[in-house]
Amino acid sequence: MPEAGRQPEPQDDGSDSSRLADHAGIARLTDDLLPALIAKLSTTQLGELEVREGDWHIRLRRPYGIGPGEGRRASDKPSRSQPGHEGHGHGRAAVESHRPARPAASSGGGAASTGATAGSGAASAASNGTGALGHAPSSKDGDGDRSRSIATSPAVGVFNPSPRAASGTRVRAGDSLGTVDMLGVPQDIPAPADGVVGQTLVEAGMAVEYGQELIRLELTAPTSAGPAEGR
Amino acid sequence: MFRRILIANRGEIALRILRACRTLGVEAVVAYSEADRDSLPAQLADEAICIGPADARRSYLSAPAVISAALVTGCDAVHPGYGFLSEDETFAEVVRAHDLTFIGPPPDVLDRFASKEGTRRLLGGFGLPTIPGSDSMLRDDQHALAEANRIGYPVLIKPSAGGGGKGMRMVRTSRELESAIKICRSEAKSAFGDDSLYLEKWLDDNRHVEVQVAVDRFGAGVHFGERDCSVQRRHQKILEEAPTPALSAEKRAQLADVAIRAVVAAGYENVGTLEFLVDGAGNAYFIEINCRIQVEHPVTEMLTGIDLVALQIRIAAGEPLGLRQSDVVTRGHAIEFRINAEDPAHDFRPGAGVIERYHAPGGPGVRMDSHLYPGYEVPPYYDSLLGKLIVWGPDRPTAIARGRAALEELLVEGVTTNIEIHRALLDNETFLEGKMTTNLLDRVGGAAFLAAAAAR
Repeated sequence: MPEAGRQPEPQDDGSDSSRLADHAGIARLTDDLLPALIAKLSTTQLGELEVREGDWHIRLRRPYGIGPGEGRRASDKPSRSQPGHEGHGHGRAAVESHRPARPAASSGGGAASTGATAGSGAASAASNGTGALGHAPSSKDGDGDRSRSIATSPAVGVFNPSPRAASGTRVRAGDSLGTVDMLGVPQDIPAPADGVVGQTLVEAGMAVEYGQELIRLELTAPTSAGPAEGR
Repeated sequence: MFRRILIANRGEIALRILRACRTLGVEAVVAYSEADRDSLPAQLADEAICIGPADARRSYLSAPAVISAALVTGCDAVHPGYGFLSEDETFAEVVRAHDLTFIGPPPDVLDRFASKEGTRRLLGGFGLPTIPGSDSMLRDDQHALAEANRIGYPVLIKPSAGGGGKGMRMVRTSRELESAIKICRSEAKSAFGDDSLYLEKWLDDNRHVEVQVAVDRFGAGVHFGERDCSVQRRHQKILEEAPTPALSAEKRAQLADVAIRAVVAAGYENVGTLEFLVDGAGNAYFIEINCRIQVEHPVTEMLTGIDLVALQIRIAAGEPLGLRQSDVVTRGHAIEFRINAEDPAHDFRPGAGVIERYHAPGGPGVRMDSHLYPGYEVPPYYDSLLGKLIVWGPDRPTAIARGRAALEELLVEGVTTNIEIHRALLDNETFLEGKMTTNLLDRVGGAAFLAAAAAR
């Protein structure tokens, strides 16, 4: 089991109000820690992940029968992540075999629908935390977590990753990870979140379609001073 | 012939083009927006490529996205379908600049027929009757009154510039004309900075009749007869039939004949449709040409047995027509019902949602062109056309009887459709007598029309 790790304490912003600190903690939990944990759970074979930190603890559990990778959205047909335009083919797919992808996507939206509990003295955190998750089971929100950790193509064209955003490079949300050339006009591929550039899913120079997944990002909390989590 | 065609459209027409490609042995790539990822054409295509988000301006209307998709998928031609980029001469030019073929008229032909007023003058010069109007822009009230008398009331005052109904008035008497001209001048001046006006004859109860033509690169052309599209709602056709009940066989033949002569003389190329307004006395006036395949083309296919989309692709590939006028024989009567996701009881409000059940009717002379399937989610972003039911019979009563049976059998559940309007139309006396005019449905209103049908 990969070490969920000791998460950095909330930054001391100088406020002496514990209530404000609580709120900051809740915000950090829901905005930063949870998506990162969900992303992690999605990419592992783990069924459950628990993190304790001070008064807080968060447990994520994968619904029974949903394996890793099955939480991908309906559109993430394996062919789509393959480079080259042959990869776009649906083939002469039967309509029937195509449909079941949708329910799988919503239940797998995935890891996000797993429960989270908050510990003692954190009633508000519990309601906030589960509240955030409570809205999550729709595939849309699942996509939201996913889209934060994977940079997708802004256009249909030819993929050119930036040499300045090679694997291991730390980037901020909005930084350019490369371009997709549409009729010779480069379209920027922005980093969807703060993080560290991970695996590139398409070879340079290959044709890509709009929305195609191009580059993985290991998410980091923006306030974190520590090194990014490895995988 | 092309090796691989990019279909830059969606819905039933993308499926229709895909079928034509299969028939011709040409590979088909469907370009789709994110909202159409699970659409039938995207699933059935040899290859499907996402070109942008649901917003059509960034997908189906984006020339760079469409052309880029054609290039990266190794296509040699682009079929624009109807709507979207189908009559955009700039798009056609850019397609050609990338060594691809635009399936439709060549860019210079599209350019020549781009202006409605210019096309009317051009084709009028080659013998097409156009709506009578003033000989020039109106100089003063004196001139306006003289011209109106010559044309005959009622007349429509139209500004030379702009559109959208501004500076436009219909008048029935000379007194009305004098006061309306002042208003129109000031409206046109403030809206377009140009107060020049002209007059056009106003046709009260008109019918919409159009002639289907095809002309190859070598100047050989044939017509495929006409279609009657008088059943409309706010200028949207909802039911089309052929032959038109409005004209005698002799007048129909005459109209089609002058139409094909004029477009061949004017240098048109590929399939096209010439639209006419027909007045109560059976006089036809040319209004505009559509330089694309039209929604209602199956009506003509049912009468002639000719695949118009395949013909369109062959002409664009530079092949000769391979047809003489005597090869085009029309038989029987055909009616097309446009099945839309809209609610006729609530002012035809468009709807969206998941198709829970779908059953297409069958039997002799029945054809259903639709991209629906059970579980398909109708996206809210595009037009509401769900498909077209086309029926054929050896005569109009048989076609109507088959239409009734087919509409009874057609099942679309999950979204509100206009199927009821079609059922009501087939029980409406004005329609049964073949006397529908373009303003009838709007005058009555959808809800009242349904209520009247239910009361019968």
